[in-house]
Amino acid sequence: MSEPSRTHASLLPSVAAVLAGAVYMVFFLAGESQMVVFGLLVGAVLALAAFKHWRVLDAVGQSARDHQGPFSIVVVAAVAAVCLYFYDDAFVLFLLGTVLVYVLTCLGLNIQFGFVGVMNFAGASFFGVGCYTAAVLTKHTALPHLLIIVLGGLLAALLGFVILIPVLKTRGHYAALVTIAFALLFKTFLEVNDTLGGPQGLKAAGLNLFGWDVGRDIAIGDFEGSFYLGYIAVILLLAILGFIMARRMEDSWIGLNMDAVRLDETVSACFGQSIPRWKITAFTIGNFYCGVAGAFYAMMLGYIAPTNFTFGDSLILLSIVILGGLGSLWGTVVATGIVIIIPEKFQVLQEYRFLLFSALVIAILLFRPQGLLPRPLRGYRTLKSLPGKS
Amino acid sequence: MKLNKRIGLTLGLLLIILAGPAWAKEKVQVAFIGPLTGGVSAIGVGGRNSADLAVRLRNADPKAKYEYELVVLDDECKPNTGVQVATKAAADKKIIAAAAHYCSVVALAGVDVYHKFGLPIVVWGAVHPDITYGNDYKEIHRVNGTMINQNEVAAKFVKELGYKTWVNLYDTTDYGKGMNEYFSKYLTANGGKILGSFGVTADQQDFTAELTQAKKLDPDVIWFGGLTPLGVRIRLQMEKLGLTSQFQSCSGIISDAYVTGTGELAEGTIAFREGEPVEHLPGGKWFMEEYNKAGYSEAPDAFGPFAFVAMNLILDTIEEVGPKRKAVVKRMENIKDYKSIVGAVTFDEHGQNISPAITKYVVQDGQWVPWQDSEYAAGKRQLKRR
Repeated sequence: MSEPSRTHASLLPSVAAVLAGAVYMVFFLAGESQMVVFGLLVGAVLALAAFKHWRVLDAVGQSARDHQGPFSIVVVAAVAAVCLYFYDDAFVLFLLGTVLVYVLTCLGLNIQFGFVGVMNFAGASFFGVGCYTAAVLTKHTALPHLLIIVLGGLLAALLGFVILIPVLKTRGHYAALVTIAFALLFKTFLEVNDTLGGPQGLKAAGLNLFGWDVGRDIAIGDFEGSFYLGYIAVILLLAILGFIMARRMEDSWIGLNMDAVRLDETVSACFGQSIPRWKITAFTIGNFYCGVAGAFYAMMLGYIAPTNFTFGDSLILLSIVILGGLGSLWGTVVATGIVIIIPEKFQVLQEYRFLLFSALVIAILLFRPQGLLPRPLRGYRTLKSLPGKS
Repeated sequence: MKLNKRIGLTLGLLLIILAGPAWAKEKVQVAFIGPLTGGVSAIGVGGRNSADLAVRLRNADPKAKYEYELVVLDDECKPNTGVQVATKAAADKKIIAAAAHYCSVVALAGVDVYHKFGLPIVVWGAVHPDITYGNDYKEIHRVNGTMINQNEVAAKFVKELGYKTWVNLYDTTDYGKGMNEYFSKYLTANGGKILGSFGVTADQQDFTAELTQAKKLDPDVIWFGGLTPLGVRIRLQMEKLGLTSQFQSCSGIISDAYVTGTGELAEGTIAFREGEPVEHLPGGKWFMEEYNKAGYSEAPDAFGPFAFVAMNLILDTIEEVGPKRKAVVKRMENIKDYKSIVGAVTFDEHGQNISPAITKYVVQDGQWVPWQDSEYAAGKRQLKRR
């Protein structure tokens, strides 16, 4: 909570933190040998511990909170810079693109779980609805691909209505069970459905925007970049839109009502809040996010199969949300990076990589049970206290 | 395992320092891609060890022109991870070629990537026909047979044994469904009659419903397309329901686990697998000896020999034409009668090995025995209903 008397923190610490993060990412992604990767990981943990001890992290957090707008712009610029640094390294770009896809998905789950408290154990299924929509529509229709991405989201939201009534009628664990059942059902349905490719899956066409084939390498003048740069540009834009929308929702009266519903259903019902209304809103919007991300992912990946959308994948999505901190949007972004990139960097360990990765996740949750970046208390900003309005 | 590696590494480094001329050798990277984690990791790890063995033996060979380094990547048997590691291997210009994929879905998802970046690969385990026949990519090759070959032989063989009617059970994965499709096709072409066909989910426990119906239909043979765990359950429950039909299956159940799981009931089960039995080939015994000598803690499993051959083929090609992707692709276009431990390898215009031998197996006294060596072929024992 920001007290009116407190002066605004400087923007500098947060910008410095983002820059340091970007430089670190470049080294981490470019690092190939086992030693470098482990060295960087251990270094990061030690540095974070030290910064926490010297209260540097608090200053960074305060600075970021006081300058949300500029801070977000700096982060986007840093992400773009990292992507451009690896302009011809197709693999790293693909990995970064995957991270952004999962960021968008997990933002959706965060709206459901973090804001309203609806546990969705079928995130990967709604993601899959988007994937299959894209694969089928790109193959059989000539619809513009941007429209297909939106349709993927809409269809996922629509399919969410199927389990809406049981989700609303049940609470807590029981609602979670409903979504688990849906996830299992969805995968089995795909496996026995031959028109959707059965267990073998489907090919999906690459993204084509207004005649621009995104799947081609980029050549502007002397600059030659991997085609994944195009994909990253699109998904970065989608992720930014998703983030802004989630943030606006959180800051507005909608978010306030959602918080009330999550914290105590009975009390908020007594105060005239409609519980089903907010649950439906969050559930549908969250599934829309998943579907949009899925539709884009299918086009980037080029091939989808039911084994991508198992219950286990849904668990990974939820674990990202929890690891980042419930309801914390920036937390989701950071956690996605960790969950997607680190197992990949551990490829050198071969069959032991998930063992170490799981140990790492447990360790993080042990030392930070509220997630990496716990959601801060709501700042009740008045118009007057907003920067530039005083 | 890790300690072994470290000792190996230290010894290797010492060797390099001691053996001066070794410095002169150019380093060449090749990749192995397979499922090292998840449900089929045993096969992936066995394949990895076998490919690793091929590289080790080559590096120990003083006549080798290059020093090879094996990059191992885990595809988790999932298409999305598969595309990810395929991109990793293919986008890395240092990697010249790869032995890749056991899971068909992953291979199907990956072929476009390999083609886009021009990385030659040799598939060592995935059986889906479309991996090679679904495209015209010059980069894709395969040393093992497709499920077409296996089922063609299987259908002809069982028909010749004199069976007339079948009931088919299959799991609804890409493997089981594909097996059912091709087996049914060739069986009907050979004049066999399929009385009923049931799909079961890959984790089903109870088959009473399907088997009761099968009993009513009373076929000569119960055929199952799928993997060992289900095969065991079906065989045991057949007995419980009093089905006296012959049990026939496919490469998916050829494992020691099937025999131990079903005990005496395993006797007389017939199944088919690509490749000649390793122990029958001149190089097969040598392969097993070298494998044991190298001290891997896991068995090569069913597809290890294929991974070994795939990697050896890659290494031989690089030795011949040099470490350039394009040259390797061009050379592999006409591989003919390449001698290997799974028989001669000849690629057709799709890069598919057209001479994979199919071996018929039968369980005899708790062992998978090649049909021609068994007492069944000799007429000393009889299969059911003949």
